[in-house]
This record gives sequence, C-alpha cells and structure tokens, in this order.
Amino acid sequence: MLKQEQLEQLLTRAMQSNADFAEIFEEEGTNEGISMLNDKVESVNRNYKAGIGIRLYQGVQSVYGYSNQMDAASLQALVDDLRDALGRKQVDISVSLKEEIIENRHPVQIDPIDAPLQEKVALLQRADQAAKAVDEKIVKTQTGLSSVRQHVQISNSEGKLVRDTRIRTRLRVSAYAQQDEDMQSGFDAPGASKGLEFFEEATPESIGQEASRIALVLLEAKDCPSGKMPVVIDNGFGGVIFHEACGHALEATAVAKNQSVFAGKQGKQIASPKVTAYDDGTIPNAWGSENIDDEGNLQQRRCLIENGILKTYMIDRLNGRRMGLSSTGSSRRQSYKYEPTSRMSNTFIAAGQDSFEDMIGSIKKGLYAKKMGGGSVNPQTGEFNFAVNEGYLIENGQITIPVKGASLIGTGAEILMNIDMVGTNLERGTGMCGASSGSIPTDVGQPAIRVSSITVGGTANE
Amino acid sequence: MNKQLWIQRALEKGIECFEIYQSVQKEKTLTWFNGQVDTFVTSNVLGTSVRGIYEGNMANIALEDVKDDKMDEVLDGLIQQAQTITTIEKDALRKPETVKPVDNSQTWIQPDLETVKNLMKKLENDLMAYDTRIVQVASLGWQEEYSTREITNSYGIDLKDESTVQYLIASVVAQENDVVKDDYKIEVIHDLKDFDEEAFVKKLCEDTLFKLHSTSLSSRTCPVIFEKEAMRSLFSAFSGYFNGELIFKGISPIKDKLDQKIFSEQITIVDDPRNTDCLTVLNFDDEGCPTRRKVLVDHGVFTSMLHDTRSAIRMNSTSTGNGFKSGYASSVSVTPFNCCILPGEKSLEQMCQDMKEGLVITDLQGLHAGLDFVSGNFSLQCTGYWVKDGKKDHAVALITVADNFLKLMNKVVSVGNDLDWKYYSIATPSIAFTDCAISGE
Repeated sequence: MLKQEQLEQLLTRAMQSNADFAEIFEEEGTNEGISMLNDKVESVNRNYKAGIGIRLYQGVQSVYGYSNQMDAASLQALVDDLRDALGRKQVDISVSLKEEIIENRHPVQIDPIDAPLQEKVALLQRADQAAKAVDEKIVKTQTGLSSVRQHVQISNSEGKLVRDTRIRTRLRVSAYAQQDEDMQSGFDAPGASKGLEFFEEATPESIGQEASRIALVLLEAKDCPSGKMPVVIDNGFGGVIFHEACGHALEATAVAKNQSVFAGKQGKQIASPKVTAYDDGTIPNAWGSENIDDEGNLQQRRCLIENGILKTYMIDRLNGRRMGLSSTGSSRRQSYKYEPTSRMSNTFIAAGQDSFEDMIGSIKKGLYAKKMGGGSVNPQTGEFNFAVNEGYLIENGQITIPVKGASLIGTGAEILMNIDMVGTNLERGTGMCGASSGSIPTDVGQPAIRVSSITVGGTANE
Repeated sequence: MNKQLWIQRALEKGIECFEIYQSVQKEKTLTWFNGQVDTFVTSNVLGTSVRGIYEGNMANIALEDVKDDKMDEVLDGLIQQAQTITTIEKDALRKPETVKPVDNSQTWIQPDLETVKNLMKKLENDLMAYDTRIVQVASLGWQEEYSTREITNSYGIDLKDESTVQYLIASVVAQENDVVKDDYKIEVIHDLKDFDEEAFVKKLCEDTLFKLHSTSLSSRTCPVIFEKEAMRSLFSAFSGYFNGELIFKGISPIKDKLDQKIFSEQITIVDDPRNTDCLTVLNFDDEGCPTRRKVLVDHGVFTSMLHDTRSAIRMNSTSTGNGFKSGYASSVSVTPFNCCILPGEKSLEQMCQDMKEGLVITDLQGLHAGLDFVSGNFSLQCTGYWVKDGKKDHAVALITVADNFLKLMNKVVSVGNDLDWKYYSIATPSIAFTDCAISGE
C-alpha cells in the first residue's frame, strides 16, 4: 500500500486538472481455492493480488485508470493520462489526508488464508464423506473451499483516508446421484465474512448432506408443468426473486440514468403492502457485509421498501451526483480493475405473519419452489428469470411430487404486487452477483412467500 | 522478473519442471451519455502466474507484485500446495514442439480520442433521430484492448504472441405508451473509416422497435427455430460435453458415447483455433501446445473430445491444444476455441418458409442458472417472433423454452447457412427443430 505522503502527492497532482474530485482505491490480497474430486485433492491454487484504481470526476463525468505497476513513475503517468482526459489546469490545491479509524464489525477468529492447508482439506473430506454416506446412489462429489482476504485503502481529495480488511470463506459441494442411465446433481455452498470458525455452525457434514438430498430428490422428479400459476417460494436463497425482480432496478446505476422501471417512484407503492425489504451491509459477519463500501463510506442498513412503499434507492457517489442525493454507502466492485458503482449487499424481504401451512393450503394447483438457482434481470424493462433447482407440485393444498427443469419468469413491477403472503421464517442464502463493477458476494434472503400468479417455464405441457 | 533465475531456483528446490506465464493487458474505453463523455477508462496490468510439478503434482500461484526477492517464499508456497494434492494421476508440463504460425495478419487502426468522441456524438444523435419512439441511447461505448502472452518453461518452451481488438457497443431504449423495450449491438471494427454507421443505426433501432409490439404466447409445444445468436448461446452452455476433463470425471453425459451417434446426422462440430475466419487465431494454447483442427461430431457421431495436458494424461491421450486460461490468474482448463456447428444449405428465410407456423427464438436469458449441465435439461427465458404462413408475424416475449439438450439435438429439421463468427470463439448457424415446450400465459 502507498504511504500517506505518496497518496497526498498523487491526489494533489490529479486535482491539477478540471477534476473536482479524485479518489484512489488500493487493494492487496490473497484468494485461495482448494478443490477435491471424491476424496482426492485435485488442485490448490493461490492468487496474490495487488493493484490500484484512480478515479477523477468532473461533474457527472468520470475517468478511471487502473494498474498494478506501483512504482512512482508509472503511477504519475497513470494520473497524467487521466488528467489529460479531463484537461490539465493549474489549481492552487494541496490534498491533506486524515485517517479515519473504523470499527471492525466483522471480526474473524481463524484466518482462512493463514490456516494450515491440511486443516482446510480436512473440512472438504468431512463434506465428501457425509455426502456419500447419505445414500449409495451418490456416486461422486466435487467439493471446494474458497478463501479470500482483501486489504483495501481508500483515499480521496476531500481528505478521506480509510482502511479495511475483508475476509470471506465459502465451502461448496456438488453431489451426483445416479440411477441407471439417469444422473442428477445437487449443490449447496454457504459462505460468510468469517474465518474457518464458520464451519462450526455450517458444518461440512450439513453442506454435503444437503447437496446429496437435492440430487436424490431430482432422481425422482417428474417434468414440471408450464403456464401461469400460484407459487410458494421458500425462504433463504428464494430471496433471489427480490434480488432480480426488484433489487437491481433499485440500484442508482439504473435509476440515475432513468433506466429502471422504478425510477421516479420514491414514495410510491411499488409492491404489495405485505412487502418490506432491506439491503443491509452491516449484518455482522454476513457474506455480503463489509465495514466500508469501496468509496470508503460506512456500510448502512437501507430500508428499500416499507409496506410496499419505495423508501430509498442504493446510491454510490457518482450516481448520487446525477440524482442530487447522497451516497448510501452502496458503492462496490470486484477489484481495482473495476470502477465501482451502486450494488446490493445483503438484500432480503423482512419477515411477515403468514404461516407456511396456510400458504400451501391455499393453493389448489401450483408450484412449491423449495430451492432456487440463480437468475438475471433487465432493469430497463424489469423482465427477469430465475431457475428452480428443487420444486414440488402443490395439488389441493398439499405438497405432492417433485418436479425438475423449471424456471420462473415475469416483470418486477408485476411480481412485487403479486406477493400476497409473507411467512415468518426469514433466512438468508449465499450468492455471487455479476454486474458492471464485476462479481461480488451478496446475500439474498426472505421468509417463504406466496406469489399469486407467475409464469412457470417447464417441459410438460398439458 | 528474472525468469531464468526463477526457473533455476525452482529446479534447485526439487520442482521437477516449472512454467512462467505472463500477460500484459492494456485497455482504453470511452463511453458516451446524454451528449457528453460519460466515462473514460485506461489500464495497464501485468499478470504473472507460475506453476510447477513437485512429486508429480501440479500447483499454481498467480502474482501481481512480482519481485525476485520474493522468489523463495513463492516457490516454497508452490511446493507446499503441490504436496497437499492427493490425486493418483500425475501431471506434466509440455516440452517444446514446432509451432507453425497461421498467416493471419489483421490490421487494427487506432483512432485518436477526438475521432472517437465525434463518432459517439454522431451515433447518439442518429440513433435518437431514427424514430420518435427511440427515447434513450442507454449505453454507447468504444473499447480498444491490447494484450500479450508469454509462456516460458524449464523444458525450453519460450513462446510469445499478442492481440488487439477494437469494438463499439450501443444499446437503445424504445417506448410506446407504457411499453418499454431495449436492445444492443456490438460491432468489431478494424478501422473506424470502414464502419457503416447507417446500417448499424438502422439494424439496432429496427430490432428494438420491433419488440414494442411483442406479446406472450399460451403454453404449447410447437416447431422452433433457434436463430444463430440464441443457438450459439445454448450450444456454448453445453459445449463442455466435449471437455476431456469432464468426461474423465464422468460428469459429461456423453462420457461413454465415443464413436456413437449422439446428435442428428445433420450436425457436424469442428474446433479449430487456427481458423482465420475467426476474430482471434491462436497458434498455441496457454500451455504452449500447438493448436490444430478437430472434428468433434461428424454427421451426428461423437468422434473426438478436447484435451489439455492434464486431461490427456488422465485419458491416455494427447493434448488437442485446448488448454486455455480464463485470465492469467486462473489455472489452465479444457476450453473449446473457434468451435462451431458447420453450416447447412438453407437461409433463415427458407427455414421459416419450411416451418410454416412456429417460433423463432432470437435471444436466450439466464443461461448461467436455467440449465442443468449434467442432465441436459434447460428452461430459459427467451424472446423472438412468431412465424405464420412461413413469414415473420409478430414479436414474442416473456416466454420460456424448455427441453433436454441431447434430445433436442436429435430433433433437427435443418441447419442454416448463416454461420457468423463475429467476435465469438463459439458459433453456430440457425437450427430448426421439430418441437420444444414453450411456456407463457
């Protein structure tokens, strides 16, 4: 990391231009991946990262440069490239930084990067053994442990200097079940902003068993029916529906340029009154949490929707300028190679008061989506899709046979209005979210919800 | 980085063979919004990754801050990583082979930024002026990327190449009453002077405006044509079926089907990194193995799989020159490169006429989630148009298409003649199928 004096010199140099703001994001860190096929360790890879991203604003224009050439001459040349893009100017300014000390809300007990490799391999072996022990039809497993340690140092022309360390671990298991010619796979991969102590609560055994359970269910699953029907989406990763159908369209990235179906809707009813939703980057040790965002602002708990009314967007500094609003601490990026923008952190629908039994019991013919896969959305049109990894038919108020090969599609504005029951059992699930500033860790979450009508894309047509 | 010093020290430490992979990536991007420059991005990143075999096992380390005085620490870490590996099959690095370069001189004319800004301004104006229903140019950008790669190993491989690419991207939003639709277009440009701006504007605006009157369909099973872009994205998602590593692991569903008929006899699949019709031509892969042409499927029969060095050892075969990295920091894996389904005889228009009534799918969404690689089942959001009396009738949106990839590829009616590589390394022509399950209202 650069010293304070070097940062002050670079920021002062950057401001000798038409820029009205300059920011330096530095990153050093290590990513480690260990993977096993069955009980054998297949690969152990490490990636040591170190780089810098420098950004200048002039009004709502931004210029961004990034490099991992950290010598003084290269950095000055990078700043000069950026100054040239905006136009150089003699300005009487001298940037002086004052370090902010922040509280670490996400303390880690066992640093996953420093922990001995054998200790980490042992976690994967436990997951493999537990997955195989579920049933003899489980013929194969692939397991992996990802560990990340990222140190960031963020400084800007307003005098901010702040540092943070983000540590994350995630264990993934794919279990393969075979019956005659048919092979099906199940997947589970929880993660947290924790060290290896995370696996005392999310045990490798429980992760392996869950992956195997899903694979075995899919062996028995029939083709999913098609068409519009009521759907109960279970808690945890089911929250991907809110992430896709609504979350992305509430990011300033889309809103500031009027490229969202929810632009201009603040204070208006955009969802059923049953829906209250948050994006909360402060949850201690959650997968999508961090102490500060990637512009150095403290992370926040943001109430996005309260009883169906749109309360706030997720806003970064640059888009805040376009919108005439302050940052909500929502600026994130995958690494120094990406210019940051507004992104989600841990996004979830708050618990309601409806019982799961009432939701299922209220449906004559529909789908119970127990485990969701990923999805995507076009914020401009609000059209979204996401995959159902484990689903069951609901017939006459009862959960009946498992079904496979289903996806759910719709438009965000319509689906939010169609959420007519919200359960009590709020949980969050681990995911990675891809967008213009790269792939970042995000939690999604919700209690079980009932959507009165949504298009189910299946393979069985009646 | 003193490469020879690193290699020498690695061998001294008992690393049996050692490789250094380096790449430099430089990028310039300019985006335009609302009459002015929106963002300008410039970058210069040197990425290094080293890998070595210790006691028969391979480990990888990627580095950004490479200093010779950190050499011992890195190499000791590499040995420790390799010692953790417990697979029975051993690994190897490649020995030097003759690489015959393909004659593929492409010229890229780099414009100055003022020229780019003027073009952006004109493009934005022309896109907005095309039709009053075009309400926004949502994104407009120009990008130039230059990259090099260098592979050096202790057996004497010392290879280097470089590549450049320049392209434009634009997306527009059309609105009529409360209906909002968008579309985008990317065009690779060797020289801005040759850019047909009028055709670009027309195609993008017309495609977007056509979507404004789209409707859903009632759920049905009907004849379907996957237009080339949609077919390309579907085929790409399942191209791992030919991956020797996944076949070795028993994850590819065609693992036991070599020399058997797996697809319709109308399907022939070729992988050829040396194909000069493609944007990027590679003489060697990211391990230094010379590339070559392979026929993966010959008239429906599965004839060969793809290998890197690792999967070849595991399958008692030889590398096909398909060991590529997704970035300098990633490890080498089996990757198709310039892989396509060979084109047939008919134009898309003829295929529509033959189909008489059915759906043409032009775009698929959610491919990262809505398909199950192992079983081949997929259910994907799509858009397209309905064909009536053999002609394009009306736009269709908010529907899904679902089937099983292996079953689908045995339901081929005809393969189109419209193979177009553009900027892709996997491409297909349009393909007509007897039927697929469509879900809608």
